[in-house]
Amino acid sequence: MKKLERRNLPWIYLFLLPTILIFALFYCWPIIQVVGTSFTRWNGFSRPAFIGIDNYTRLFNMSSFMVALRNIALWSLIAMTFHVWFGVLVALVFFKQPPGWKIARAAFMVPMVISSAAWAMIYRFIFNNEFGILNNIIRIFNPDFNVNWFFQSPASFWAITFTWLFYAVIISLVVLADLMAIPSEIHEAARIDGAGGWQTLRMIDMPLCRFSIGTSIIMSITSRISMFEAIALTSRGGPGNTTMSLSIILVRGISDRNFGVANATAVVMFVMGIAVLLIINRLFRMNESVY
Amino acid sequence: MKRLLALILATALCLSALSGCLTQDTVTTDADGAIVLTIPHYKVGANVGARFFLPQVERFNELYAGVYRVEVMEVPNDMYQDQMRQLAIQNQLPPLVEGVPDEIFLLEYLIPNNRFYDLNQWLDNEPELRALLLDANIEHNTFDGKLLSVTYPVVRPATLYYNETLFQPSKPIGEMSWDELLEELGDNTLAFMTSENAWTTMIALTSMIAVQPGGPELLFNHLPDDNKFVEFTNPIFVNAITQLQRVIQTAGHGNTVGAAYADAANAFFSNNAAMIFNGPWMIGDFNADAADRWSNGFDGANVRSNAMPGNVGLDNPLGYGWWIPANTPPEAAEGAWAFISFMMSANELELYMLAEGGTAPNLDESAEFLAARAENALLHQYMGSINSETIVVPYLWNSAPGSIADIEFGRLLPLLIDGTLTPEEFCQQLETSARETMR
Repeated sequence: MKKLERRNLPWIYLFLLPTILIFALFYCWPIIQVVGTSFTRWNGFSRPAFIGIDNYTRLFNMSSFMVALRNIALWSLIAMTFHVWFGVLVALVFFKQPPGWKIARAAFMVPMVISSAAWAMIYRFIFNNEFGILNNIIRIFNPDFNVNWFFQSPASFWAITFTWLFYAVIISLVVLADLMAIPSEIHEAARIDGAGGWQTLRMIDMPLCRFSIGTSIIMSITSRISMFEAIALTSRGGPGNTTMSLSIILVRGISDRNFGVANATAVVMFVMGIAVLLIINRLFRMNESVY
Repeated sequence: MKRLLALILATALCLSALSGCLTQDTVTTDADGAIVLTIPHYKVGANVGARFFLPQVERFNELYAGVYRVEVMEVPNDMYQDQMRQLAIQNQLPPLVEGVPDEIFLLEYLIPNNRFYDLNQWLDNEPELRALLLDANIEHNTFDGKLLSVTYPVVRPATLYYNETLFQPSKPIGEMSWDELLEELGDNTLAFMTSENAWTTMIALTSMIAVQPGGPELLFNHLPDDNKFVEFTNPIFVNAITQLQRVIQTAGHGNTVGAAYADAANAFFSNNAAMIFNGPWMIGDFNADAADRWSNGFDGANVRSNAMPGNVGLDNPLGYGWWIPANTPPEAAEGAWAFISFMMSANELELYMLAEGGTAPNLDESAEFLAARAENALLHQYMGSINSETIVVPYLWNSAPGSIADIEFGRLLPLLIDGTLTPEEFCQQLETSARETMR
């Protein structure tokens, strides 16, 4: 390290201090507290009492917890096999810049400016059995059609899925940015070598977008793990446990003042998120250079 | 100089990062020297209680101009108690709080830590006010000789409202059984709310419990916060759930499954459902000045009230009312008490009863009040439908654990309605959840 740089080191750290402070205070410390209190019985007012892994045992014995895990697994599968690829497909269409693509891109981005809570409420109206647009369209063809989408099993699972299935704006933008970053020489060379559209897509575009697709899958699955508003504002995890998720169990723990159980749920969510990150990193070889 | 400037900049950056941690003061002084009490509350905006509460705050501010002023901060209804819990943990409670969030808050925080002002210190000096309050409630609110809170000394049972243009009962509904009511309803439907805390459905369910032998005792015995009702497989509860399932399946309005309160109210306000279960605070919605909520030819003048089948009304005599947190500065606590005392004064009680119904057993009602009440036909009729024979019981949600009331019941209810769960299975699942909660 140069002498000048060494001399500036204290100042660099001093100006980094606010960021370090915020990170330590609002990220690291709460995470440490959450992990620590997940091994305690704590109602928020009394002193936390250490109870070992009781909260975790209790969680894994709860039927709603197991259903929540199954739901997250299913939603993750749907996210990986459809949601992400829908976003990629839209990015590929935009990449070809067909007529009107800019307007289409703007329209596709509209949901981004709507909060997820408002989005959930909109879907609550769309799926309403009595006056919802979906059932009223279906009733044109089948007048006897009656489904309470958010309150009937298994319809509610699919209704919840529908609230995010086509909401892949971020994925499209990330992949589109990667597609646009591919040097034009590579496409030209492929064309000269006689590669068709499908071959270019399969052999060039997809491999070169592997980072963004991998990142999209990580984002999509972690969003499924932490998904809350769409469920809490519509089916509330029901009917029964049909749309139960870990975030609903976590919030229920808080409202029951079982902070130990709530924090154990949070730790499980955290571990799942880290696991997804590691697995997708490995699968998509995200630590290897693309070019 | 450069070093000093850098140091100042770095310090400013650190401090600005923490500026979000500053809290808003809920007790201040305005330009006139009046002590301003800022209280978060849910009776604002579209909340049905706002119609009376906000003008009441204005009346108080006029009366105490230059001395005290109450300012109300809007909090959504279902967030209020949760916000009070959070503020309590931070020792930042506002100078006035209504109700207590839950039994743990009461028994493990509020009482053992003595985090409230003993209201006796003021009440002992106001014998007129003390005479108005209900003894049973005072006793319930007294812990180690200290008075925690004061509630309106008004009994106002929740019952039912029906639309006479759609349904004309052959006799008062209070004199019928649920079976007779179902028979008389014919093709008419009942407006139920089944999502969120399923409030209106819970009223019907409570009345079904109350008409059974041992039902009222079950509801009263589990009122204490350390003895909440968790035995949902109890035959009385199973019978009531069986009846509820039949009533909803037979006469529930088409939008019942997943209906929020607004959906249930809309069904009633649009001539689509003939009956709804709710408290007397709903009476204002049937006055002509609330006509903008009506549709499809609905007219509030055609609404009638009666006791629930079996002559049942719902009211919790042992609730918690307004209290003053211990973190309130003494001068602000004086102002907070002035507001409580104002709300409970005879004149305000009469205005309250005119707006939201009810009777104050210890109040000598004025002639003006009786005349004004007689002018509101529905209010008059509501009062007439409650008699000394009426079985007044607390709401089931007063006797059950909070998460059962707020989450579990509504989450399982659709499965009971569509027949996926039998009443026994429904009760078993509810009991499992309740026992899980109370561990």
